[in-house]
Amino acid sequence: MNARRMTWFAGILSATASLLLLTAADALADEKPRSGGELIFPVPSEPPSYDAHREQTFGVIHPVAPHYNGLLRFDPTDPTGTKPVADLAESWTVSDDGLTYIFKLRKGVKFHDGAEMTSADVKASYDKIVFPPAGVVSDRKGQYTVVKAIEAPDANTVVFRLKWPAVSFLASLASPWNWIYRAEILAKDPHWYETHINGTGPFTFVEHVKGSHWVGKKNPNYWDKGKPYLDGYRALFIKSSAAQVAAVRGERAHIQFRGFTPADRDALKAALGDKITVAESPWDCLLMVAPNHQKKPFGDKRVRRALTLALDRYAGSKALSRIAIVKEVAGVQVPGTPYATPPAELEKLAGYGKDINAARAEAKKLLKEAGAEGLTFTLSNRGVPMPYEPVAVWLIDQWRQIGVTVKQEVVEAAAYYGVLKKGEFDIAMDFQCGYTVEPDLDLYKFTSRSKNPSNFGFYEDKVLDDLYEKQSRAKTVDERKKYVREFEKRLLDEEAHYMMTLQWHRIIPHSSKVHGWQVTPSHYLNNMLDTVWLSDGPSH
Amino acid sequence: MWRYLINRFLLMIPTLLGVAIIIFLLLRVIPGDVVEAKFMSGEGSGVSNEVLAAERARLGLDKPVWEQFAIWIWGVARFDFGISMWTGGPISEEIALRFALSLQVALMATIVATLLALPLGVIAALKQDTWVDYAVRVFSIAGLAMPSFWLGILMILGFLIFFKWVPPMVYTPFWIDPWQNMVQLVWPALAVGYRYSAVATRMTRSSMLEVLREDYIRTARAKGLWLKLILVRHALKNAMLPVVTVIGLEFAFLLGGLVVTEQVFNLNGLGLLFVQAITRRDYTLTQALVLLVAAAFIFVNFAMDVMYAWLDPRIRFR
Repeated sequence: MNARRMTWFAGILSATASLLLLTAADALADEKPRSGGELIFPVPSEPPSYDAHREQTFGVIHPVAPHYNGLLRFDPTDPTGTKPVADLAESWTVSDDGLTYIFKLRKGVKFHDGAEMTSADVKASYDKIVFPPAGVVSDRKGQYTVVKAIEAPDANTVVFRLKWPAVSFLASLASPWNWIYRAEILAKDPHWYETHINGTGPFTFVEHVKGSHWVGKKNPNYWDKGKPYLDGYRALFIKSSAAQVAAVRGERAHIQFRGFTPADRDALKAALGDKITVAESPWDCLLMVAPNHQKKPFGDKRVRRALTLALDRYAGSKALSRIAIVKEVAGVQVPGTPYATPPAELEKLAGYGKDINAARAEAKKLLKEAGAEGLTFTLSNRGVPMPYEPVAVWLIDQWRQIGVTVKQEVVEAAAYYGVLKKGEFDIAMDFQCGYTVEPDLDLYKFTSRSKNPSNFGFYEDKVLDDLYEKQSRAKTVDERKKYVREFEKRLLDEEAHYMMTLQWHRIIPHSSKVHGWQVTPSHYLNNMLDTVWLSDGPSH
Repeated sequence: MWRYLINRFLLMIPTLLGVAIIIFLLLRVIPGDVVEAKFMSGEGSGVSNEVLAAERARLGLDKPVWEQFAIWIWGVARFDFGISMWTGGPISEEIALRFALSLQVALMATIVATLLALPLGVIAALKQDTWVDYAVRVFSIAGLAMPSFWLGILMILGFLIFFKWVPPMVYTPFWIDPWQNMVQLVWPALAVGYRYSAVATRMTRSSMLEVLREDYIRTARAKGLWLKLILVRHALKNAMLPVVTVIGLEFAFLLGGLVVTEQVFNLNGLGLLFVQAITRRDYTLTQALVLLVAAAFIFVNFAMDVMYAWLDPRIRFR
């Protein structure tokens, strides 16, 4: 190679390298959070009050969470939404016996009214959640029965003393509902936070026009310096799903944090192409079938097993995931999360095998043995179209294939709980949604009716109760997994107390301008918006 | 005349009281209550029965029904409608927020309907069985056949597909930004106004046809009166009686009845509030809204009675 050629070759190489470096720098610049802009998102529900300690709708979390912090939170970058990390707590230690949790708080954190946040505020907030005074509703009080006492020995230390070791305790403290309120305000009026906002969060409150919108603006004194990136946010209360989709499609909104249907996703993608990014995840919500054990023949486990054996969940997943917000075939934990059942083990459970013909033959045999051939019953369903309606239609068709005739009775949503509570049904559609995938939270529903009023199978099962306690107090992950599997086998296979349908599937098609937001299995998580940024100025 | 008006006005009181009693009792018959709707029908795990009982007591739902009614009706008599059982906010505020929007849409739709219906109805009657009449009839029958919410959906889809645009999602009062206000509300007003005009056009046409065959119109023509004068002074005035009824009743209906159209255009109006109040079993808010709509109907009826009296002297002197 002569000198001239070498120079030319070196020049090409150098130009290519420069181009690559420039491209890489551009890519990095693209990934670097950009400050500014207003995030606009529809919320399909509206807060009944502003106090998350008492409410249970995401209609509170989505617009109001950006005003608050918790003691801990779930790692906003974790797609499973199961890893507790520090929020107002800076660090923590757990005693060897697992009974004492000591949290050191961040210093220099201020409420939006300028007051310093101290351990007294954390204690007062948790006292309100765990030991609510008379006349104050705490929706999740039952999740903290393990707590014996909460102490604030100095301004920056909070101590939780437990009655027994609980492996899920840190996850409980990362609950997105446990906002830290100001102690002084709570002392004067424990209901103040139902109608007012004063947190330490990344955004301050601007206005709430009922039925219309909620506005927050950047907190300039936020303790996490450099955050939030957004100048503000605007939550639009839009009940109609068609109007929500139109808002995103017409670029009047960037994102809707709860979820859209597969058809909405496809329509948005077709209309907006690269302007839309789709985030999807298994959803920690589940429709279950509750056979009323108090009504014949559903007290007979052969009948219950036959009904679960009739369900071809894998074919159902393929068909239903095209039209409804359900998809994953799962046991008692969301697939992909730490305690989820491996597929090979799942297939061993009744109704989860791949040979549907064999399963249905067994189902018919069981019905015959139980004297329930040609069984006829009514399926009570909640009057909410998506996904209750398509799932119920699928169930009815599946049961028809083993000779069972089912009539569907749709009950208006507000009256449905009354039907469940009074046990006025043969078989009913039951439901559960969680803020994190955690066996303590997810399995409690299936413990005996005498322990837990939300068991709508109306059964008593001491073995199941015992397994619940064991998994909750297990010392290692493997030990806990073992008990969770045993619990699952008894619940879904041996006794078939409940029948799982399909796990919900969360679909979030959002403007490609939105960055720094991670989809998780829960629509209650990642709504503080401190990590979210817009790659371009708002076009609204 | 005055006696007639006072009689009509006084009749409003027992009517409203009857409505109040019926709605109060009906709501108590429907299964479920606001506490269950709020704490137990969501996606959460629920709260204990003790907490539910405490909430019911806080809202006064543990009291005997007659006592609840007495407390409520005493408040209504003093124009105090209480607080919303769902939000805890004063009901007057909850309604006032939405009333301006609903009233504006109703007024705009009425204007659209009247501007379309009167000329079209009259022209169709005058040109009976010609192509003009057929065209007007097709136009009005299409309006009757097409629900306004469906027309609204078509509008939104049309905007999205052809202009990649949707009307604003948040209401801006007219006095703050008239342009923004009109850009949002003109579309629902057109969607609703078209259907509304279809009813009024049909009524105007048939009423005009009837009046135009009356002896006094024939006499007026025979006398050689100017046709325009015959139409306006003699025919239209008399033909207006049933048209006024239709326009008035539709207007009252629009105040609280635009449930689906409000959802399509995401309008924060009374119709949507009505549905939410019922599904949430917000008794106090539902009762107040029913009374409001009943009062609107009664008031519009009263206004129509006054107008009848103005339009038809026989009523005044009866």
